Amino acid sequence: MPAPLSSPRAVRLLLALALAVLTAAFWPGSVRAQEPEFFDVPWAHNQWTFGTPLDMSHLRYCVDPRDPDWEVAAAIADTIARGLLLAPQRYVVETDVAVTEDITRIYAIMLQHCDLHMGFKLIPEGYESWISLTRAYYQSQYVFVAADRSITALGDVPRTRPIGVTIGTSAHLGLLSYLRTHPDAQRWPIFPMGNDDLALEALLNGTVDVALVWAPTLWARQRAEPAYAALEAISPNPVQPVGFGVGALMLAGQSFLRSAVDEAIAALIADGTIGEILEYYGFPATARP
Amino acid sequence: MRRSKLLLAIAVSTTSLFSVQTVLAQDNPIDGITTVTADTLLNPPDGDWLMWRRTYDGWGYSPLDQINQDNVGNLQLTWSWGMSPGGTQQTPIVHDGVMFLQNSDHTIQALDARNGQLIWQYQHQLPEGVNPAGERAMAIWGDTLIVATRDSHVLAIDFRSGELVWDTVIADYTLRYANSSGPIVANGVVVQGTTGCGQAQPGGCFFTGLDAATGDILWRVNTIAQDGDPNSNTWNGVPVANRFGGSAWIPGSYDPVQNLIFAGVGQPYPWNMEMAGLLPRSADPNLSNEGLYTNSTLAIDPNTGELKWYHQYLPTDSLDLDYVYERLLIDLEVDGVMRQTVVTTGKLGIIEAIDRMTGEWLWAQETVPQNVVLSWDPVTGEKVINPEVIPVIGETTFNCPADPGGRAWQATAYSPRTGALYLPTVEFCSNTTVQPLDPGQVYTGGGRQTYARVPVPDSDGMIGQVRAVNLTDQSEMWQYRQRAPVTTSTLPTGGGLVFVGTLNRTLMAFNDETGEVLWESPPLINVLESFPITYEVDGRQYVAVGASFGNGLGRLISLTPEIRRPPTNPVAMFVFALPE
Repeated sequence: MPAPLSSPRAVRLLLALALAVLTAAFWPGSVRAQEPEFFDVPWAHNQWTFGTPLDMSHLRYCVDPRDPDWEVAAAIADTIARGLLLAPQRYVVETDVAVTEDITRIYAIMLQHCDLHMGFKLIPEGYESWISLTRAYYQSQYVFVAADRSITALGDVPRTRPIGVTIGTSAHLGLLSYLRTHPDAQRWPIFPMGNDDLALEALLNGTVDVALVWAPTLWARQRAEPAYAALEAISPNPVQPVGFGVGALMLAGQSFLRSAVDEAIAALIADGTIGEILEYYGFPATARP
Repeated sequence: MRRSKLLLAIAVSTTSLFSVQTVLAQDNPIDGITTVTADTLLNPPDGDWLMWRRTYDGWGYSPLDQINQDNVGNLQLTWSWGMSPGGTQQTPIVHDGVMFLQNSDHTIQALDARNGQLIWQYQHQLPEGVNPAGERAMAIWGDTLIVATRDSHVLAIDFRSGELVWDTVIADYTLRYANSSGPIVANGVVVQGTTGCGQAQPGGCFFTGLDAATGDILWRVNTIAQDGDPNSNTWNGVPVANRFGGSAWIPGSYDPVQNLIFAGVGQPYPWNMEMAGLLPRSADPNLSNEGLYTNSTLAIDPNTGELKWYHQYLPTDSLDLDYVYERLLIDLEVDGVMRQTVVTTGKLGIIEAIDRMTGEWLWAQETVPQNVVLSWDPVTGEKVINPEVIPVIGETTFNCPADPGGRAWQATAYSPRTGALYLPTVEFCSNTTVQPLDPGQVYTGGGRQTYARVPVPDSDGMIGQVRAVNLTDQSEMWQYRQRAPVTTSTLPTGGGLVFVGTLNRTLMAFNDETGEVLWESPPLINVLESFPITYEVDGRQYVAVGASFGNGLGRLISLTPEIRRPPTNPVAMFVFALPE
C-alpha cells in the first residue's frame, strides 16, 4: 500500500484543512432561507431515530462491495481522512440485494453511517438537489469489450451483430446517439443489459459480440474470475469514448466539509498519492488535477 | 373501619374491572367472525368490504345508504388509529365487524371496526434493504387473511388468531422482485402479480397462482412474451433475457361465469424505446415491436393459468403510461346490443371498453387533456401516437399527461345507481428528457427519463378533478375542479354519495348525480393517499380512509407548492360515522 501524504507542504495544508473541518463541525448551522419542498429530500424509514454523531474526530465514509472499485475507493478514503488528521471510520454497506438500488436509499445510509459515500460518477445534472459531490479522485471510462481477439475496434464488428449495453448509462446514450446518425440497416442491434455483469456474461456465452461496460467492472471481474481473463477492451472507434470523474457523494448541507475534502483530494492528486494507489491496484483509471 | 372500606372499594373495583373485561370479551367481534366461502365472495354482505374493490366486478361501490345526501353533513370522526411509519396506499378489509389493516412494515392488525380497539397483530419481518412501503390491498378466504409483502412473499394468516398458516416465496427479492399490491382470490386460487422487473430480471414480471388452502404455487403467467410464445416476436428481436418491465402492480377483477381473471400489465422498461431495443423497428418482416403483453388486459383462467386472450391498449409505450389499473366488469349497451364489458382507464385518462367474452375492443372516451394519442381506429381501437412526444436522446419533448398519469393508481369506481364511472383525475404535463442515470454501480435512479411536471398550457390552475362519466353514452355527467389533486380512489355509495380524499388532507363527499360538495372533513393528519371504504357494524355505517404520503400523486405537490405536508409523514386510519 502507498504511504499517506508525507511532504511538509502538504502536511501544513492538510493541518489547516483539518482545523477548519473541526471548527466547522461546531459552528452553528445556517438557517435555510426557505425550507425545501418535501419531495426534494428523500424520506428514510425511522430517520428521526438515527441521532447525530458527536465524535468529530473521525471521517465517516461508506463503501459498497457491489461497486467494482470499492477496495480502491476505501484506500483513497483512508488517505483523505489521514490527510485531514481525522481517523478513518469505514462502513461497508452490507445487503442481500444484488442489483439496482434507488439512489434515495443512499440518504438513509448516509444519515446513519457516513459523511462520504465513495464511488459516484460526476454526471452533470445527474443528481437531486439533496446531494452534492466531491471533486473527482479518479477518472475512468466506459469500454467496449470483446472476447474475439480478431476484433480490435468496434468498427470491426459486422453491423448485423449485437452489442450488449448496460441500460441507461451515459455510454449507452452516446452509442445510441451515434447510431441515430446512420440508416437503420447500418446500426448494430443493441441488446439492453440489466447491469455490467450481465453484459459481460452475455459476451462470454456468445449472446453478444461486444459488451459496453464501465472499465472498473471489467477490472473487477477479471481480478475475481479466470473465465473473464480473455476478455479485452477494444478501441471504441468510430464511437467517441465516454468517461467520467468519480468522487464521493455527500449530503448537500455539508458544504464546508465538502470544500475541505475537495482540497484534500486536490492535494493528494497533486503529490501523486492517489495515482500511487491506482497503480498499486492496477486500476483502470487516472488521477488528474 | 377505614381499612375495611378500602378493601371493599378495591373488591368492588376489581369486580367491575372483571365485569368490563367480560363484557369486552363477549363483545369482541372476532368471536363471531364467520368463514368466508366462495359464495361469500360472490355475494358479499352489504356491510362488509372483503376485497380491494369490494366486489369481484371491481366496481368499488357500496350499497350502504345510512349515510346519504340528506345527512352526510353530520358526518363526524368516530375513531382513528396510528399506523407504522412509512408511506402506504392501503385498502382495509372489513368482515363481520373486524377491520384488517396492513401497515407499511407488514404489521398486520385486526381491529374492532366499531372503535379501533386492537384485537391481534402479526408482524412479517422485512429483510434489510427492502423498503417498508406496504401494499395496496389484501384478500380474505376461508378462515385466512391473504397478504402479499414487499419481499415477494404471500402469506395466509388465521384471521381469528393472527397466526401464520402458510408462507410462500414467489420471487427473489434480492433481484428486486416485489409485490406492491395484494392478491385476488378466485375459485380457491390466490392470484398475485409481481412488480419491480425494471432492470435485472430477465424476462420481466409475472402473475402467480397459489392454492389458497396450502400456498402451493400452481402456475405462473409471464407478462412479457417468452420464447415459444407466439407473441415472442413482438420484441424487435431482443432476446427474452433482455426484455424488461411488464409489472403487474394492481389486482385484477374476476368473472365467475367465465372463471376468468382480468388483470392489467404495465409498460416496458426502460421507458425510452431506443434504450429498450424496441426502436428502430427491425426490417425483419417476422418481427414487430409492440412489446407484448405490456399495457394489456390479460384474461387468465385462475385454476390453470391459461392465458385465454389479451388486448393491448398502448404498444411500444415510451412515456411510462401504464394501462395497469382496475378492470371494471360492467354490462353495457353498445350500438343497441348488451355487451359484457371490461372497462379500464390508463394513465392517459382514456376510458376504454372491451368485450370480456372475446377481447374485442368496443369504444374509447377521452377525459383529461392529452397530446400523446392523435386518434384511434373506431373499430379496433388501434392508436395513432403523436411522433412529437416520443422522447429523443438529446432533446426535451413535451407530453400530457406526465408520468404519474391523468389518473394514477387511485382507482375509478362505478355506481349502478347512476350508471356513472367516477374518476379521480389530474391535469398536468411534462417536459421529458432522456438522461443518463448511472451515477453509481447499483444506484441507478430510475427509468432513464426525467419528467419535469408542468401545468397544462392555459391551465386554470385547478390540478385536481373528480369526473363523473355516464357509461351509457360516455357523456360527462359532471366535473368538479379544485387546486389540490385528488389523491384517493373514488367511493360511490347507495346513499347517493361519492367520497374522495385530497392532497390537502381532506375527505370530501359529493352528490353522485350533480357533483355538489355536500361535506368536507377538517384537514386530517396527512395526505390522503389510499382507497377509502365504507362498511356497517351493528346497524351503523362507517367511512374509513387511510392518511399517508404513499409516494403517489403526492409528488404533484411540485405543482401546488402552497399545499404543505407534515415532514414526518405520519400514517393513520380515520373512521367517520353519523352521530349515534
